[in-house]
Amino acid sequence: MTAPAAAAPLLEARRLGFHRQDEPVFAPLDFRLHAGELALIEGDNGSGKTTLLRLLAGLLHASEGELRWRGAPWQRDTCAHEILFLGHQLGQKHELSPRENLGFAIGLHGCRDGITPQAALDEVGLGGYEDEPVRRLSAGQKKRAALARLLLQPAVLWLLDEPYANLDRHGIALINRLLERHVAGGGAALVSSHGVVGFHGGEPQRIRMHG
Amino acid sequence: MSAPLEHACAAMLRRDLTLAWRRRGDMALPVLYAVIVVVLFPFALGPDLALLQRIAGGLVLVTVLLAMLLALDGMFASDIEDGSLEQLVLAPQPLALMLGMKILAHWITTALPLIVIAPLLAGMLHLPAAAMPALLLALLLATPLLSLLGAVLVALTAGTRRSGMLLALMLLPLCVPVVIFAAGAVAAAQEGLPWFAPVAWLAAALILAVVLAPLACAAALRIALDS
Repeated sequence: MTAPAAAAPLLEARRLGFHRQDEPVFAPLDFRLHAGELALIEGDNGSGKTTLLRLLAGLLHASEGELRWRGAPWQRDTCAHEILFLGHQLGQKHELSPRENLGFAIGLHGCRDGITPQAALDEVGLGGYEDEPVRRLSAGQKKRAALARLLLQPAVLWLLDEPYANLDRHGIALINRLLERHVAGGGAALVSSHGVVGFHGGEPQRIRMHG
Repeated sequence: MSAPLEHACAAMLRRDLTLAWRRRGDMALPVLYAVIVVVLFPFALGPDLALLQRIAGGLVLVTVLLAMLLALDGMFASDIEDGSLEQLVLAPQPLALMLGMKILAHWITTALPLIVIAPLLAGMLHLPAAAMPALLLALLLATPLLSLLGAVLVALTAGTRRSGMLLALMLLPLCVPVVIFAAGAVAAAQEGLPWFAPVAWLAAALILAVVLAPLACAAALRIALDS
């Protein structure tokens, strides 16, 4: 499923680069991501996948090149509510339960229509653990608790950094299912991974990173 | 569509207060510290009523402000560690406002218990009852001021390791005027002089800090994450 050719891409990078202490972290990148598209960011350890995602989320500033959002220059304030970033650090408070963590996320970002935190937690397989402090959950369950945000938060673009880490077979299938549904619903996603991803909704775009 | 601003503020405040309650052992530490210091002073100085009365106001003030420093260091530490700060930076709400809520929650959990026990501490040192309103008002203005100033410095040193010592050194010169005005108000009240002027100065500084400190915090934390 692709957007009409006339529509401006959701996200467009032109010669995008980032320097750390005057050293380029990755070679300048060009890519376009339309609504309804999935892109995989591929590269070895240290090739700059996380840096690219943090850059696209707005945590870092590009050192060179240009980033455009819906055809206009990228500005954090205009697209903050449309982007969801899930990094290595999950942003979960260990003393709070998954339900309380989600409640806080909803307070900040709002909630999609027609879904409750309980339904989201059931879907990611944390039914029965809603009120357990996150600190007592396993690494995979912590990840699932963070993934519940994908279901609740009304965002168009998902930036997922190594979403498959720590997850079992069912967890990987869960992410693929979430991604397929999101993309089919007109969303877009950038996913970093150095593993193989089984994605059934058509061949995803691949962005190759070179350190 | 993002959540309304007041919902976000309430969520932030509720989360930090819940967290503080889950770690209430940490919350008790500054209170315990203040009680121990004030209890030990008469043992060291001797039970000289006139001497204790003279130093009571200043001693309680300095003890409360120092006790607050114990908890200051951790204001943003856990949020940086677990990635919640990143999520806060990426949230559609103004970061300064959200940090203002965090600072408010921090003040409620560290300074408010100290202010509640301050009359008890002052009573143990025989502070005259006439000076009590001045002491409480001075504390009500000086403690949020210190929370706000401290938050800016904690945010500035957020990216550095072993920031505790740096923080203490940077906070010292900022503490001095706060202590001078707050102690000045209590001393004036103790001598039956009008004590409104120093309190008004504290209030003015607090208003300035309420407006500027969260903005400075937001800028400093953005820089800390941008590396």
